Amino acid sequence: MLVALREWSYSRILLVAAFLSIAGCAAQLAPPYDKTVADGLNSANTEAMTLMAATSQGTDKNSFSAREDTYNALIGTLDALALSAGARPMPKNRFTDAINKVLEKRGGKPIDDDDSTPPSAHSIKKIAETLTKMRDTDKKQGVTAIEAQAFKGQLVIYFDQAITYENFLQR
Amino acid sequence: MAIDIDQLVSDMKTAASGVLNADVSTFRGFSERQLKAIAQQAALVATGIETRQITEETEQFFLDSLEDMALSFAKTLRGLLMVTIEKVWNAIVGVLWNAISDAAGVVLPVPVKN
Repeated sequence: MLVALREWSYSRILLVAAFLSIAGCAAQLAPPYDKTVADGLNSANTEAMTLMAATSQGTDKNSFSAREDTYNALIGTLDALALSAGARPMPKNRFTDAINKVLEKRGGKPIDDDDSTPPSAHSIKKIAETLTKMRDTDKKQGVTAIEAQAFKGQLVIYFDQAITYENFLQR
Repeated sequence: MAIDIDQLVSDMKTAASGVLNADVSTFRGFSERQLKAIAQQAALVATGIETRQITEETEQFFLDSLEDMALSFAKTLRGLLMVTIEKVWNAIVGVLWNAISDAAGVVLPVPVKN
């Protein structure tokens, strides 16, 4: 009788410990995957790289009008994508706060930012800003070959950040 | 039915390792691509400024952008880590919940904490 009671008690303790150890919940620490954003980014990436290929030798401001519509369409698409990406709020709970603190401690300098939007929203916004700067420079004075290369390099970096993150959300 | 602790620990390790092994290669590839690209961009901007092929119109823009790209890379990496932590966490919770369900003899749905 006592042995049976002891075994029953151990089982219950283990069950309670298991419950307590996991706080009893699954967690969501990142926004949901959005296929529209992911597909839109891949499409915009192709269009932007096509424009970069066409301007890789630099541009002449006199031929800007031939590129203006392409710039504007891309910038409009990316502004819309940045809105869609940012419209998914980041899950905010005690788990994310705790994890953020640990990550910031390990990284030394804390990352001072607005955690209410996914990082991809910022990257997409910067892609649109980069294209806007390129368009305005192209219109004003044309773009040198090195500037064209630098604009492309910047776009590649931000596109890589946004696409990697958005694809990673598919879980 | 009592829970087999050794088996439970082994199952949790397997669940966590499965997620981590897949995700670590993504982190490594992403970090290597980004760091190399940012370094190349810095070198290109420096050369462009030196040779005056990067004009006054764009010089400050490219310099400011370098700083932002590095910060944005760090934020993206942190975002990826959060997704992995979520996956590991949920994989472990799933294993624990199954073990508890089996031991208790009832089907317990895993509640979600948002």
